[in-house]
Amino acid sequence: MKNFKNYTYILLAAALITACKPVIQVPAPSAGSADFTRYISVGNSLTAGYADGGLYLAGQLNSYPSIIAAQMQTIGGASSFTQPLWSDAQASGTGYQKLTGFTSTGSPILTAVAATAVRGTVTIPGVGTFPMFTKYTGNIDNYGVPGIKLNDIDNGFYGNVNGYYERMLPGNSPSNTTTYLDFVTAKPFTFFTNWLGNNDALGYATSGGASPTDPLTDKAVFQTKYAALIAKLTANGQKGACATIPDVTTIPYFTTVTVGAILASVQAANPAVTGLYINARTSSDPNVTTYAPRLATAADLIVLTFPTSKMGVPNGSGIPYGLHPLNPIETQYVLDANEVAMVKDYVNSYNNTIKSVATSKGLAVFDAFAFLTSLKANGLLINGVSLSSGYISGGIFSLDGVHLTPRGYSIVANQFISAINTQYGSTIPTVNVSAYNGVTFP
Amino acid sequence: MGLLLSPFLGIAQGFQVNLHGEKQIGMGHTGTGLLQDGASVLFNPGAVAMLPENYLQGGINPLFFNSSFLLAGSNQQENVKNNIATPFNIYGVWGPKNAKWKVGMGIYTPFGGLTDWGTNWSGKYALESLNLKAIYFQPTISYKFNDVISVGAGFVIDYGSVVLTKAIPLSSSSNPDGQAELKGSGSGTGFNVGVFIKASPKFTIGLDYRSKVQTSINDGDATFTVPTSLKSSFPSPNTFSASIPLPATASIGLGYTPCPKWLVAFDFEWVNWDVYKSLDFTYGQTTSTLKNTVSPRNYQDAYDFRGGVQYQADKDVFVRLGGGYATTAVRDGYVTPEAPDANRVYGTAGLGIKAARHLDIDIAFEYEHLMSRTQTNIESNLSGTFQTNVFIPGISIAYHW
Repeated sequence: MKNFKNYTYILLAAALITACKPVIQVPAPSAGSADFTRYISVGNSLTAGYADGGLYLAGQLNSYPSIIAAQMQTIGGASSFTQPLWSDAQASGTGYQKLTGFTSTGSPILTAVAATAVRGTVTIPGVGTFPMFTKYTGNIDNYGVPGIKLNDIDNGFYGNVNGYYERMLPGNSPSNTTTYLDFVTAKPFTFFTNWLGNNDALGYATSGGASPTDPLTDKAVFQTKYAALIAKLTANGQKGACATIPDVTTIPYFTTVTVGAILASVQAANPAVTGLYINARTSSDPNVTTYAPRLATAADLIVLTFPTSKMGVPNGSGIPYGLHPLNPIETQYVLDANEVAMVKDYVNSYNNTIKSVATSKGLAVFDAFAFLTSLKANGLLINGVSLSSGYISGGIFSLDGVHLTPRGYSIVANQFISAINTQYGSTIPTVNVSAYNGVTFP
Repeated sequence: MGLLLSPFLGIAQGFQVNLHGEKQIGMGHTGTGLLQDGASVLFNPGAVAMLPENYLQGGINPLFFNSSFLLAGSNQQENVKNNIATPFNIYGVWGPKNAKWKVGMGIYTPFGGLTDWGTNWSGKYALESLNLKAIYFQPTISYKFNDVISVGAGFVIDYGSVVLTKAIPLSSSSNPDGQAELKGSGSGTGFNVGVFIKASPKFTIGLDYRSKVQTSINDGDATFTVPTSLKSSFPSPNTFSASIPLPATASIGLGYTPCPKWLVAFDFEWVNWDVYKSLDFTYGQTTSTLKNTVSPRNYQDAYDFRGGVQYQADKDVFVRLGGGYATTAVRDGYVTPEAPDANRVYGTAGLGIKAARHLDIDIAFEYEHLMSRTQTNIESNLSGTFQTNVFIPGISIAYHW
């Protein structure tokens, strides 16, 4: 019995020595052949963190560049990454849409959250009237400017007509002369991500091919400007990552409201109706610009914002809207089959440019085109969450059907990180997608 | 709108718990071919009639299950919370002196799991926490034909309970996720039969077969917390039913006494996990969003190789050592956070004291290491590396006469 205590002590000691949690080996922190001392992000609304039809503080805080930067920090990258954030008092920024319920038929009800950061408008004779937002002063590492096209980056007047860019500049519209390309490269940096180019096709597409200020950027111009952009971004040997442009037909803005669904709801009230009429482009040749009414098919894409209440409403001559060649659905609501073909052709050309220019400079490439095409075809299962390119239910696209949810942006960040690690041998950890939410439900 | 949830839930894994008696744990879980004490009710009912005395004993084994996960691509290791499961065992064995028969009763916990990853970890949509318990009640009778061979059989009634929580990927402004909780209990029946042979004064052999116990949970409580606008898609309160096969095991054990102070034992156990093909949940009310689920499990049979020695250090002191190797029931692609199973090695040590003429106190300590396993689950696509260490101290008291 006297030994019992001793034996007990031996057993307890053995228990304590070994009683620790397992430690799973992680890769050693390494920037590889890249240098993350100062990371800047160049791009448009996706880069700015735009979501739900607006740029607001919560979206900015979830931007994919800020996620990438935080992950770079864990392996010794820059200790800060500064974004041109709205203040807490103006957290709703430009205003945005909120999901506030569903109709009895399951359609989402969106309610606008009012803007708090609009400081006024500026009218530029012969060009138009533009909103101006609360000025941002201070450092900037995230240069995402909603609305900007690649085509705009060398335009010295652009700082007067884009409120998002104007607010980053010291001067007030219409006195600005700094080009976007000069602005983003003014201070030294060592690493960049660049996701410009979407709006060169998307601007045309979301306006149904109807906006005179949003033509498709010429393919050769795109090539020239992209090469100039990358040449300047890599002028001092900087490394970086570029992303391709998604196929517009993979985003819910064009895939949620369908010709078939509209027709079905019209037929529910009026079974005699056999088809919808749209005003459609007669050719996919960019040089042929004539439009003519015709019956819509499943290949014609209706925009998410189409007010379906217009359907069947008679015009002055008593002809119901959308149901007759003499009162077709207007072109700004339709990306018709020929426009789709044109946009796809341009996007392919842009993407070839992006990939070849990036490759020639040894940059990483996140192929967003391939990623979103696969998402649409196969969906995506991450950490037990089924994601798709579906509107609201898909979990990736925000309420505007173009921009992303926090979860969508976290996935984009991971895609960039993977491309960067592959290209440069760095070990930036990816983020836990489960920690980011999809659409917020009431 | 159709909100697609990934197929709902997964329960039982390599959920076997082998903590059935401190003397046996100290010797690496050997016992099928030994005559140690009342734990023979479980290890081999056939040996019960051969036991030299009557027993009333109980033991408990606080189990520290330290499991960790590293999400693929991440550098943030995530750990389960420090919850302590408490497998226990109670045995009684009685028979008249010099009779050829004995009766026994065992209450023990051969399957269970307590895993709590918390509500913020990367795999929360696969599982947040699971508390699974199966308690077997086993009345037993054993008969000794002669001094060489005896047989025994027990009838098993299982009382099982489960509480399982996971996150639902639906956020509202107040909650980052919806929550599902499934809570239920059920029962099943089976049997335990064994043969014990004293081949020679130095050799003993035991054979034991414990049957599958199909445990059915009916009318369990299914509670869903989701954003208000989606409540109609998740009827709550709701009920669920599920049926889980707790598999059969067959064991052969050898005991060898090379000299009076030493006892050497070997056990080999086969666990018929192959019966666990699929885990199906049926809800009392379903919607286009909340559907009944069928989750493939496709387990494989597992094998456990055990060895141990006991040395009588003093008149009243026994020192025990043991260890073993067990293969996993879970195939690649099917590993889930409920019990991230893998091939495992374990070492055990034990100490037995004859505290009084009729009283044994036994303590044991076990360390189990589950091999690191890097997996992408086919159902959730949760991808990463699991690693688990288990620490199990234990103590029992046996009164014998």
